[in-house]
Amino acid sequence: MRLLVVEDNDRMAALIADGLQRRGFVCDVALNLAQADDAMAGAQYDAIVLDLGLPDGDGIDWLADHRKYHQMPPAIIQTARGALEDRITGLDAGADDYVVKPVEVDELAARIRALLRRPGVRTQPIIEVGTLRFDTANRSASIADRNVDLSRREADLLELLMRRAGTVVHRDVIENALYSFNDPVTPNAVEAAISRLRRKLDEAALPDMLHTVRGVGYMLKDIPA
Amino acid sequence: MTQRRSVSRRLRRGLGIIGLIGTVLLLAAVAFFYSFTFTHLDPQAAMMRAIKEMLEHVALPLIVLLVPVTIMVLRVIRQAFVPLAEAAAEIEAARGHERGFRIDASQMPAEAVPFTEAVNDLLTRLDESAMRQEAFAADVAHELRTPLALLSLELDRLDHDDAVRLKKDVAAMRRLIDQLMLLAQIDADAAAQIAPEPTSLADVASDVVGSIAPVIIAEGKMISLDTDEPALIVNARREAVAAALRNLIENATRVTPVGGTIQVRVGPDATLAVRDEGPGLTPDRLRDLVQRHRRADHASKTGAGLGLAIVERIMAAHGGRLTTDPATRELALRFPEP
Repeated sequence: MRLLVVEDNDRMAALIADGLQRRGFVCDVALNLAQADDAMAGAQYDAIVLDLGLPDGDGIDWLADHRKYHQMPPAIIQTARGALEDRITGLDAGADDYVVKPVEVDELAARIRALLRRPGVRTQPIIEVGTLRFDTANRSASIADRNVDLSRREADLLELLMRRAGTVVHRDVIENALYSFNDPVTPNAVEAAISRLRRKLDEAALPDMLHTVRGVGYMLKDIPA
Repeated sequence: MTQRRSVSRRLRRGLGIIGLIGTVLLLAAVAFFYSFTFTHLDPQAAMMRAIKEMLEHVALPLIVLLVPVTIMVLRVIRQAFVPLAEAAAEIEAARGHERGFRIDASQMPAEAVPFTEAVNDLLTRLDESAMRQEAFAADVAHELRTPLALLSLELDRLDHDDAVRLKKDVAAMRRLIDQLMLLAQIDADAAAQIAPEPTSLADVASDVVGSIAPVIIAEGKMISLDTDEPALIVNARREAVAAALRNLIENATRVTPVGGTIQVRVGPDATLAVRDEGPGLTPDRLRDLVQRHRRADHASKTGAGLGLAIVERIMAAHGGRLTTDPATRELALRFPEP
C-alpha cells in the first residue's frame, strides 16, 4: 500500500511517514501542495494523508479542486480543529475521513486500513482483517488459509463487518444491506445470522472477534493484517 | 443597619411636609384676613366663625388637593418602577446563559436609561474579557497540539517499556486539550446564541455509543444502549449533547472494571442516563467535581479531568441538569420537558 503524506512540518511529516512505514505502508512525503501535485503525477497512491493548513493553500480546497477533474485516491485529513462542527467541514469537502491532531500513529494506521477496505475507487478483490480474508469475487472467506463455509447471507454480513472492521455497524444498516424490501426481516433474523457467524469464527480459532453492542449494533475487531 | 431609602416613602414624607407648611400658611392667611371681622364679634361667635372658616378655606382645599395628588404620585412612581422590576426578572431568568445578555432599555423611563446603559456597557466589557480569556485558553490548547503530536510520534519509535507509560501520559494531555477546546467552543456558541434544534436523544445516544464502543471493547469492557423513549425529541444543540454524553461514558468507563458493562439509557422522560460499575457518586461529590474548574484545584486524583464540569456547563446552557444517583450508580442528563 502506497501512501502520500502531505504535511508542512517536516519533522512531523518524517515521523508520521516513519510510523506508517513501520506498520507496513510505503510512504512518500510532500511538504506543500506543489510537491503533492508532483508526487501525484509521478505515482499511483492508495490513500492520501492530508494536513489542512499548508504554506501554499488549504488542503481542503486542493482536494475539492482535484476531485472535480480527476479520480483521486481516498483522503484522510488531519485537522487541528477539534471542536464540534469544525470536524465535519472536511468531510463535506470530499475527504473520506479525518483524524484530530495530535494524532496517534496506531489510530491513523487503523483509519487508513478502514479506508482501504471501503468499496471505492480502487476496489480490492481481497479484504483482510488479521488472518481473516474475504474474497469479494467468489464471496468466500478463509482464516489462516483455511476455508470457512458461509451461506450467502453470512458472507454478505461478514463482508459488511469486515469493510467496517474496528467500527460499530448499526443494526439498521445491517438490515438494509442484507434484506431487501420484499424480503421481510423477522425481528431475530440479524441476531441469528450474527450468532451463526460468531460460532463459525469461534470454531476457526478466532474467538473474541465479533462483538455485540446491545441496542446499537455489531463490531468486528480490527487487527492489523 | 439604616433603613433603605424608598422613593415612595420620601414622597409621602415630602407631601406630608408640604401639607403641614400649607396648613400653617393658610391658617396664617385666614387669621390675617379675618382678624378685623373677628374683633367685632363676641368670643363665642368668633370661635364658631373661625372654625367654620378654617374648615372651609383650609382643611377642605388641602384634602381636595393632597389626597388625589398623593394617590396619583404613588401610582406614577409605582408604574415608573415596573420596567425595573421586569428587567430584574429578565436578568434572573437569564441565569445559565448570561453571555450576550443585555437589559432592554426601550421600556425604561428616561431617568433610568443612563443607569441601564452603564450596566449594559459593563456587561459588554465583562463578555469581552471572558471571550479574551477563552480565546487565549483555546489558542494555548491549539498551540500545544503540535509539540504534543511530535512527542507522541517520537515515543512511538521508542521500543522501550517506559514508552508505553509515557504514551499514556501524552494521551492524558491530549484529552485535556480536547476538553479545553470543547469548553471554549461551548462558551463561544453560547455567546453567539446559536439556536437549539429539535434533536432526537435516541439518535444521539446511538451515534455516541456506536462511536465510542470500539475503545471500550478494546479495554475489555462492554457497553449497551436501552431506548425506553425512541421518539423523544428535545430542543438542543446536537453536537453539545453528544459531547456531554461522551464525557459521561468516558467517566463511567474509567471506574468500571475489566469485564464490566456500561449501560446507557434513553428515558424515561427527557433523560440520558449512564450507569457504571464503579462505587457511585454522591450529590456532594458531584458538586465538587463540577465546580472544580472554578477553583484553583486542578490536581485530578480520579482522572476525571474537566469532564463533569463540561457536562454541567452544557446542561446549564440547555436549561437542564446533571444529576447523580449513588444507589443505582447512575449519572443522568435531564433535559427540560419539550
